[in-house]
Amino acid sequence: MKIESFALAVVLCGTASAADKEPALPKDLPPYGAMKPLAAPRVIQRKLANGLTVWLVPESGFPKVAFALKLRGGYTADPKDRPGFADLLAATVTQGTASRSAKQVAEEIASAGGDLSASAGADSILVDASVLSSRANKAVELLADVAGHAAFADQEVAIAKSNLSASLEADEASPAFLGRRALYRALFGNHPYAVISPTQDSITQTTPADLRREYARRFRPDRALLVAAGDFSESAMESTIERAFGSWKAEGEAAPIESGKPAAVISKAVIVVPRPGSVQTAFYLGTLGPTRPAPDYAAARVANAIYGGMFGSRLVNNIREDKGYTYSPGAAILLNHDAGIVLTRADVRNAVTGASFNEIVYELNRMATTAPGTDEVEHAKRYLLGSLAIQLQSRGAVARQLANLWIDSLPPDALASQAEQIAKVTPAEVQAVARKYFPAWRMTVVAVGDEKVIREELAPFGLEFKNAQ
Amino acid sequence: MLRKLWVYVLAAGAFSAASGQTWKVPVAMKTLGNGLKVVVSEDHSAPTFGICVSYGIGFRLEPEGRTGFAHLFEHMMFEGTPNAPKGTLDRVIEGGGGNNNGDTRYDFTEYIETAPVSALDPVLWIEADRMKTLDFSPANLENQRKVVEEEVRVNVLNQPYGLFFAIDLPGKAFDTYPNSHNFYGDFKDLDAARIEDVEKFYRQYYLPNNAVLAIVGDVNAADVFAKVEKYFAAIPAGPAPPRAKLEEAPQTAERRAVQTDKLANLPALAVGYRVPARGTHDAVVAAVAGELLHNGQASRLYQALVKESRKANSVDGGLNWPLGNPFEFNGPTLLVSFIVALPATSEDDLISAYDSAIADLARRGPDAAELDRIRAKMRSDWYAELELPIERASALSHAVLFDGNADQVSSVPDEIAAVSAADIQSFAAKYLVKTNRTIIWRVPAPKGAGEK
Repeated sequence: MKIESFALAVVLCGTASAADKEPALPKDLPPYGAMKPLAAPRVIQRKLANGLTVWLVPESGFPKVAFALKLRGGYTADPKDRPGFADLLAATVTQGTASRSAKQVAEEIASAGGDLSASAGADSILVDASVLSSRANKAVELLADVAGHAAFADQEVAIAKSNLSASLEADEASPAFLGRRALYRALFGNHPYAVISPTQDSITQTTPADLRREYARRFRPDRALLVAAGDFSESAMESTIERAFGSWKAEGEAAPIESGKPAAVISKAVIVVPRPGSVQTAFYLGTLGPTRPAPDYAAARVANAIYGGMFGSRLVNNIREDKGYTYSPGAAILLNHDAGIVLTRADVRNAVTGASFNEIVYELNRMATTAPGTDEVEHAKRYLLGSLAIQLQSRGAVARQLANLWIDSLPPDALASQAEQIAKVTPAEVQAVARKYFPAWRMTVVAVGDEKVIREELAPFGLEFKNAQ
Repeated sequence: MLRKLWVYVLAAGAFSAASGQTWKVPVAMKTLGNGLKVVVSEDHSAPTFGICVSYGIGFRLEPEGRTGFAHLFEHMMFEGTPNAPKGTLDRVIEGGGGNNNGDTRYDFTEYIETAPVSALDPVLWIEADRMKTLDFSPANLENQRKVVEEEVRVNVLNQPYGLFFAIDLPGKAFDTYPNSHNFYGDFKDLDAARIEDVEKFYRQYYLPNNAVLAIVGDVNAADVFAKVEKYFAAIPAGPAPPRAKLEEAPQTAERRAVQTDKLANLPALAVGYRVPARGTHDAVVAAVAGELLHNGQASRLYQALVKESRKANSVDGGLNWPLGNPFEFNGPTLLVSFIVALPATSEDDLISAYDSAIADLARRGPDAAELDRIRAKMRSDWYAELELPIERASALSHAVLFDGNADQVSSVPDEIAAVSAADIQSFAAKYLVKTNRTIIWRVPAPKGAGEK
């Protein structure tokens, strides 16, 4: 039965997906107006004497301010034997300072209308908060206290360790976590980009002294950016920040950050993550992609939108709207400083695991081997240009985007220039970039689910299998 | 409950006067001859807009034997019309630089888009087009039935905890079908849906006089009213749709259940308390009490269970959680706690620590500092829900759908400010009691031999 349904899918794929000629729009549909140019915010750039970079985006009206404090170095700055250490640092850095208990920090930021959250990623640690503008000064004071005087009290470290350990155990029940972890490990091998969380070992080994040492090496004004976006006056915010952060000093050596492009590893075997009791197979397919400053990033975004990045994309039309294999298919280009990831994901019911894989491979190869239509390219460009405008609607999103640009050593006006770059992309560039990043053979394939189902469903493709470590 | 995964937003809390400035959302309203209510809020901070069309139909009104139908139907609203075949809607909206989604809840079904203002006319046209009629296609119904079943698999059947705090908890806490049935739908009911059911449901509920259209963004109100008149005025009104009977007999005893979970690794607890009817001062008190208990790391339950007794790994919850914010419902709902326990924590241990924190709210109401803090936090959270044009449009449309009053979105912080410490204490003493609650304890199933 399974083999039959797979064979059927092979027959179908030629017909269903070939029907990508765009039908005419309804005759009564009114036309679009002229798209307004992207209204990128004005960013005021300052640098304090201690080296802290400050970017301010004053915008009156809506009565909140979003802050983002970004520190260079995430998993890339972790000690080699402590994968995911940056997560331990993020989980403990907000839990009390020299002059405030963890509870006081939580209460004071709440009184400003916000939460102080810290999170780690591959290239950075982010501490952020979104508060009432009338109480923004309190948030600045707390951010500075956390940045310069975090305490790492024994009791708080113990609580954070047991909670991180339990969270890791809970995450190991999630198909999304298991799929990402297996994919990143396969793609990046020994490079720190292989890490998405700490291990039970790295959690167990961590001591308050380790955290204090790494904190000193990483929470340093010369390796930090503070963004404030929202309802404030430029001069008042500047002096508030100067007052709170001016005394922050770097002491001792900075932690080295591992840099350099990871080697491209392509697993020839399908990586199986057994998850007993699964009623779906979660697919994660990925390969190394462009970085944000790469000259072909804009074209890759357009290609990705056509392939699986929009709802009206080829992949979604095929395996959801045509065949009903999945609710949540999609594709994305994830950005790290030294390597992006071209990612496809879909959760499909067990019985169509093979059929879905066949269609994903087909759509990847179709991107790589055939030219997209001119209409398709223009459509995707309009979608992306609109998305850029929509992503500027919230202060928090503006602050986070600016912080990410800074990590990639790009200036604030990259917010606007990315629109110019997308507008210039040609169909030939889309085809070239698709040939580079989308051929199915380049993909490392991870399948999370019932092991027997996955092996039986994918056996007809003649691929090898190996289980995730 | 959503058409697409990637715009999934769980709503959070709400809040004034003590915590500084107030902010009023400007609104203009008009009702068309066919009963369609239109709300416009101008905001020229970005050259974009958000739109929400809410219909007065949700889970509570779906027919018996057709659980999950309101949400399955929502999917059919994206499957084309005689004028705009399947695929056209996404092509028009995404090609205009926008994105869209749909969302079904207990008391409304909403269709939302955000886009650059250059796409305003085509987006209004496409919303009007699907308010006129649909392409009632059996093939598309079959396709979306499969998609919805995959949605249930990805969010419920293949996930640890399987949303038991959102599906099973009200299922046990309430007794009448409208409030207690599985809103995502049993597969046998989804499988039984026929295209005739889709057409009947559409004719019954998808009427201009059962809908509110809200637009927020870089638009001019008079201009929007003229456009809406042009695209929507010819759609005929229909008979007022039936209302569900929502009354529940009072709860008189604690309700308990234990479940096993073959996917989860940690035990978890869900608690749901019955609450006073919406529109009363006590319902606002319930909202504030819910936030005092659950909102952020300063909250009482986080401090008690994660920090002090160290029994919990995480604490979530609040009034009307997780399917809406504490002000966004129009029938019976619960004040919910969802707590993931640390390994090896027993049910008795966790509930005993939980009960101490609950009892403390009745014994020791919030002092001035705690009250100021929760007001500031709820006000800030409420503003956050109004920041994005698409979300402000959604909030405005629900306010008009439930109360006919768009200004309600601006008065929420004042309602919160009117709640006193004594209100909280008497609410806790009256409502946060065992006889008024339902508890589900969910434990990992024993792992099979050789499995982790």
